[in-house]
Amino acid sequence: MSPGAVAITGMGCVCAAGNNLPECMESLFRGERNLGVPMRIVSDQATTYPVFEVADDLASLETRNTPDISRTGRFALKVAFEAIGDAGLDREFLRSKRVGVCMGTTVGCVMNNGDFYRAYLKGQDPDMADITRFLRSNPAASVAREFDLTGPCQTIVNACSSGTDAIRIGALWIKSGICDIVLTGGADELSHVACNGFASLMITDSSPCKPFDRDRKGLNLGEGAAMLILESEGVRRMRSKEARTFVLGSSASCDAYHLTAPHPDGRGLRRALKEGIVSSGAEVKDIAFVNAHGTGTQDNDRVESRILHEVLPGVPFLSTKGYTGHTLGAAGAIEAVFTVACLEQGRIPKSAGFSSPDPQLPASPAGSEMEIRGSVAVSDSLAFGGHNGVLVFGTGGDPT
Amino acid sequence: MKLSIKGMGVVGGFGCGTDTLLSALSSGQCAPQNVSVKTSQGSLDMAVFCAETSRLEEFVNKKALRRADHFSKMALLGSHLALQDAGKLEEDHSRMGIIVATGYGATRTTYAFLDSFILDGDTFSSPTCFSHSVHNAAVASVSELLNITGPGLTVSQFEMSVASALLTARCWLEEGSVDSVLFGAIDEYCDVLGYCWHRYFGNRATAPHSMDPLNFDLQSAIPGEGAAFFVLSDDDRGGSRYGFIKDIRLGRMDQCIEAVDRGTTFFLGADGHKECGARYRRFLSGHFRTECYTPLYGSLPIGPAFDIAIAALSIKNGKIFPSPRGKNEGQGTGMGSICCVKVGDREELGMVTLEA
Repeated sequence: MSPGAVAITGMGCVCAAGNNLPECMESLFRGERNLGVPMRIVSDQATTYPVFEVADDLASLETRNTPDISRTGRFALKVAFEAIGDAGLDREFLRSKRVGVCMGTTVGCVMNNGDFYRAYLKGQDPDMADITRFLRSNPAASVAREFDLTGPCQTIVNACSSGTDAIRIGALWIKSGICDIVLTGGADELSHVACNGFASLMITDSSPCKPFDRDRKGLNLGEGAAMLILESEGVRRMRSKEARTFVLGSSASCDAYHLTAPHPDGRGLRRALKEGIVSSGAEVKDIAFVNAHGTGTQDNDRVESRILHEVLPGVPFLSTKGYTGHTLGAAGAIEAVFTVACLEQGRIPKSAGFSSPDPQLPASPAGSEMEIRGSVAVSDSLAFGGHNGVLVFGTGGDPT
Repeated sequence: MKLSIKGMGVVGGFGCGTDTLLSALSSGQCAPQNVSVKTSQGSLDMAVFCAETSRLEEFVNKKALRRADHFSKMALLGSHLALQDAGKLEEDHSRMGIIVATGYGATRTTYAFLDSFILDGDTFSSPTCFSHSVHNAAVASVSELLNITGPGLTVSQFEMSVASALLTARCWLEEGSVDSVLFGAIDEYCDVLGYCWHRYFGNRATAPHSMDPLNFDLQSAIPGEGAAFFVLSDDDRGGSRYGFIKDIRLGRMDQCIEAVDRGTTFFLGADGHKECGARYRRFLSGHFRTECYTPLYGSLPIGPAFDIAIAALSIKNGKIFPSPRGKNEGQGTGMGSICCVKVGDREELGMVTLEA
């Protein structure tokens, strides 16, 4: 085991593929793609862009300390309950330890309530409940408040790499001894603002997305959340808890190139991938697969395919966004728990939406479900702002 | 690990640069501007500590700024000033990371994007406004213009944003993934924020023209905006003219205060809000010297970043400046540690301690 490895002892997930992580994995391996017309967003766009929406209205979520909060905040709580249960933890134990919360989001931190703002523009006095709800819906603070946690609390707003970056920072908090346990992941709900924004950039597909495919036309938006419980070796040994797997390494970089486009030569992603692998102590031959960012946009998939081929030649890769849509600040976290679950199962699903290799891309994703060899897997994220994040997970060498 | 402060850049209601902040500290004076707030009863005047960014043109070509919004301009100005102050403006930044803390992000552009489709229909949503409204747009602009290619991060945790983000800056340096971190904090005022203040605080929001933050029975908060940037490193060779960040704590008030040494001076982040101001009362017990500088920069989530800047200037100048609203009770007059304190809405505490 890498000396800097951080144990993952619990996970949770909700997205269009399922209401918990086991449901999601079964759905992925069945090849289901649950997308459709947006049910909660009314738009007058000339084109209807399908989305991956979570069917659950989350009304049944039983909380103790949570007032009325946003759907994003409730997503965060839902996966927190699942992950805490999976880790065999309870509220009392958590209150007795230094427990931090580090969550990624995009929509969850933006003060952009449309109904409130429309009324304001008309010179009316809109209900301030919308703003009050925003102020108490910060995803990390929502989780900390519900479980009465007293450690550091941090919400990462790094656009589409937020979830990946949050997990990286959570692992650093464990390694540096700041926390005994960290609840980390990402959460984001579908929003009218994000739907209009991506449509305005002309990078959304009006049909199911096709990451890395010759005929790809863009992304589909989605929503959801995922959480990992990271635990120090001291606490894990004290309670004799077996790790599901480990965060072996991580890294991040800036392209320093453009606000919305990746560097054409992929310089930031190349650096992040290389540094991430070095930090994990793993070698390229150990890597079983990569869960790629794979949005289905022309630019992202071109750069990512090139860099994966260059840095990890011959290593299988896939995009799971064909099953979940692009869940923005949650994406890196959802893909992280899928990566760990695939490592555990020794197989990866087909890269949904891929059927025709693009002759312009040097490498193509998994065209069918496949068994994997190796004990290490990588998940990467690219984001607006030129951010790149990489997580390296591995099962090997658990000393317990 | 102690973090050495190698350089600082600030812009806020007091002006631009550490010299203007020092002048405000020396005089104890900073006058807010009057801005107009649209309400259902017509327009009202509200005092706001506004930041002005024209000095950015000393560093960046106007053409390169044509799409930059006010939020990113404050970030760029703070970044350039801090790197210039550290003598690192022209250095290679490939081993530098960048972190920005913000309470609300680029709110003006967020609402400009909403305007684009509320007024004209979804089809006319502005791609430029959308891409500039994301919280990490400022980090993207700074990293692009200064070619910072280490890790980049934006943190949004309301009043805890600064302490929380600093914790991660220290982790990066401990990890060794960077040699230095350009750490900044930014928040901006916008029309909607002014309207929200009017709705939450009524006439109390528009009446005050000076803050009295330690009068906990009075709502005297005046909104502020601005940016404070720092070049941080774990390299303590040759000392540090601004001192060191020796401790960063987040947690319950009791846990945090127990760890504080006698002889510490507290810089309180009380910012004139009656509801939360009283949470600072226990710091006025007489055991510690306390100061409060919020009347110089206003009320904004990232206010603690200005307190850190003031603490660093205090260390550089070898003296604690008197609070703008007069002398506070408490013991101690020497230059020991300075602890910048912010209390959050869950009564959690963020504490950043500096020493010479």
